[in-house]
Amino acid sequence: MLESLQYIYAPQMVNGLSIGVAVVLMALGLTIIFGLLDVINMSHGEFYAAGAFISVSLMAIGVSFWLCLILVPLILVPIGFGMERLLIQKVFHYKDRHILTLLLTFGVAMILEDGYKIIWGANPIKPSAPISGASELLGVMFPNYRLFLMGFGVLIIFSVWALIYKTQLGAIVRASAYDKDMSSSLGIPVMRVYALTFAFGVALAGLAGVLLAPIYSVFPTMGRDFILMAFSVVIVGGLGSIKGAVIAGILLTQLQSISSLFISPVWSDPLVFTVMVLVLMFKPTGLYGGMKNA
Amino acid sequence: MHNPQVRAIRIIEILLLASAIVLFLVGSILGDTFFLRLATESLIFGGLAMSVDLLLGIVGLLSLGQALYFGFGAYLSALILKEVSPSFFLAIGIVTLSSIVLGWAASFVALRSKGVYFALITFGLAQVAAKVVYNTRSLGASDGMMGVPILQIWTPIGSVDAGQPGIFFVITLLTISALYGVLKYFLTTPMGSIWHAIRSNEDRLAYIGYKSKGPKQVAFILAAVVAAVSGALYPMLRGFVSPELMFFSVSGNAVVTVVLGGVGTLIGPILGSVLLTSFKSIIGTWTVHHHIVIGLIFVAVVISAPKGIAGLLATYFRKTHSRKGEE
Amino acid sequence: MENMEIILKAKSLSKHFGGLAAVDDVSFEVTRLGVTSIIGPNGAGKSTLFNLLSGTFMADSGLVELECKNITRMSPEERLSCGMARSFQITNLFFDLSVINNLRIASQALEPSSHLFLPLSKSAIAIDRANELLEEFELLECCDQLAGALSHGQQRRLEIAVTLATRPKLLLLDEPTQGMSQADTQDTAELIKYLGSKITVLLIEHDVDLVMDLSKTVIVMAQGKKLAEGIPGEVRANPLVQTAYFGEELA
Repeated sequence: MLESLQYIYAPQMVNGLSIGVAVVLMALGLTIIFGLLDVINMSHGEFYAAGAFISVSLMAIGVSFWLCLILVPLILVPIGFGMERLLIQKVFHYKDRHILTLLLTFGVAMILEDGYKIIWGANPIKPSAPISGASELLGVMFPNYRLFLMGFGVLIIFSVWALIYKTQLGAIVRASAYDKDMSSSLGIPVMRVYALTFAFGVALAGLAGVLLAPIYSVFPTMGRDFILMAFSVVIVGGLGSIKGAVIAGILLTQLQSISSLFISPVWSDPLVFTVMVLVLMFKPTGLYGGMKNA
Repeated sequence: MHNPQVRAIRIIEILLLASAIVLFLVGSILGDTFFLRLATESLIFGGLAMSVDLLLGIVGLLSLGQALYFGFGAYLSALILKEVSPSFFLAIGIVTLSSIVLGWAASFVALRSKGVYFALITFGLAQVAAKVVYNTRSLGASDGMMGVPILQIWTPIGSVDAGQPGIFFVITLLTISALYGVLKYFLTTPMGSIWHAIRSNEDRLAYIGYKSKGPKQVAFILAAVVAAVSGALYPMLRGFVSPELMFFSVSGNAVVTVVLGGVGTLIGPILGSVLLTSFKSIIGTWTVHHHIVIGLIFVAVVISAPKGIAGLLATYFRKTHSRKGEE
Repeated sequence: MENMEIILKAKSLSKHFGGLAAVDDVSFEVTRLGVTSIIGPNGAGKSTLFNLLSGTFMADSGLVELECKNITRMSPEERLSCGMARSFQITNLFFDLSVINNLRIASQALEPSSHLFLPLSKSAIAIDRANELLEEFELLECCDQLAGALSHGQQRRLEIAVTLATRPKLLLLDEPTQGMSQADTQDTAELIKYLGSKITVLLIEHDVDLVMDLSKTVIVMAQGKKLAEGIPGEVRANPLVQTAYFGEELA
């Protein structure tokens, strides 16, 4: 019994954790964008893909993986800022704005996905892991890259949480989300804050893309494939809740990895989806409700 | 005074009907296959778009997974035509009845939520179904099913050969028009008004005496039927079905055509489908990357003309009417 | 013509939000016809009480009886079929629909449910009622306009008309003069008085003078509890009420 725990479950769980951490990064961006901006970003998966593709190209011209971890999110920030400022804010004043922003971001996703196909081709690209080899932990061998992923991911998640809840900047963002008019009259450039928040959210998704590229490989439809998982995490965790995104992200990826021991991986998506639907049916606000009125 | 939106709808209806008649006559005389089949396909997907519009434009629910019912109708139709009997009416009839059941069952999952969550649940349902079909060997897995026979369809004036592009174009036109007629009828009933009320202010509905769940369920099931019956026509035209029919791009394209044509008008989506299908086929001769162009057009429409072509027409009518009033 | 027959009874109603008792063991009776008003300073729990009575919230404990029928657990549409209708403080119309359609949909509940699937013309009762309301509330000239395009005063009239569509026995009015000018308030007061002569009206209001003028019974709430219940003169003179409302000042 202990042996199966050690040799079968533990590796699966650790693998699941390393993926879970990246999923959480992506879900974090999504939940922040919805919780603070009230925008459903259907193009979030495409920013995840963007991060992966850009890192692949940068590494092809000799930029190190480590530099990519910093550069890629930085590159995505102005893109996200521009998208929010130039597109999303244009439809924000309509009464139907939830649906319109959904449709708008969905349209952008369509453009981006085809764009990736044009620029990089339809074939999957698999960058090699920047850290090779494996280490032994409690008698089991784990790939070093996965261990790094976990550690780095936890660091980023913690930083995001600290940024939002413990800094002045975070307070400004939360105030703008909570009461736009009040914040504006206090001198906060609300529109710019919104655009920055969106940019930050998609940059996180891009970072997740860089991190997961060596594991999942990179191809044009990777964003669309991943977005159901990202939304499931956000919904189960509670739209707008960082704690929820973290816990749901870990839970759902664990569910995925452990269940793949028993059932064909084809059914893991349906399984995650079923959990999401059940949560929606019985606790619509997710595990941890929302920061706003979600 | 004629409501500008009603006028816009009327113009589009006449335009489409006239083009259809012209296309049929000219195409039949010239022995054309390509354009007639393209038009037939655009009508079939127009039916799917109508089902999206019923939910989005009338009731206010964005479904990102209508392809589920479309694919269901297509597969079921193919199975019946291949394994049971190559009968048009049998296939349509069975698809209609089973899609009522399917829609009813799915409504219990989907209608638990609204807004964003509804969109995501419908998206997820279609993703899951597509994956299941993709991996089911008895349904042909990723290759789908081929070899759907060409139908001989009974009509009051004798049996017609559905293999003739012109003939099947008319059959499809009649079927889709019938679906359109059914939906328009519902809009003339109090149920239709309640749907509009739900879209406008769902919370108030209970206070004037109606739970929103029942009417939503009716619309949901109706949308499932419309999508499924449209889908049932697909294998009759193309001779095969494949899991791609349930993929998100099908649902997504339907949403694009609805917004393009004019959300809430029912005929707008048909126009949008005709335009988009023609457009794809034209652009397709230059490049395989029509998605980007369509995506760009879509984004432009959402930002500058969210009510689509029908909306632009209606605005035009409103302006000319008020200008006339000032003269 | 007033009546001593009880139409609505509330017994020990309570509603908590978190640790806060928004409504705390409130009991009162409303007699048929005339205007009964609920007043109280901000945060007194009037809105919550209203929401308990109309089915917007479910009470944590206690009882609501409409004509001796226990409606405590009923949903808003079930309460409507028992004869209770409510209006909303923030105008809650179908803004994208025309005035006539707002009224017609509001009147649809007068028809049997089978009529939902028949053409509109078969719902003659609802159509007639809508036209009746158009005239009664002076909305004829804007009958085809979208509800969202009306003036504030017109919208408030429409709001009340919609609430009255199904000819309820008990009308719950939620701060009907909210944001109104003096003139509009006067008109609305006349309207409420007139309504009170035909059906029972239960009113939440902030405007104390208006309430004292109109009502046969006034209920005062403060901090979730019922403070006083009686005819306007009695209530006005009640020292507890004066303290709750005006602090140290005398009315």
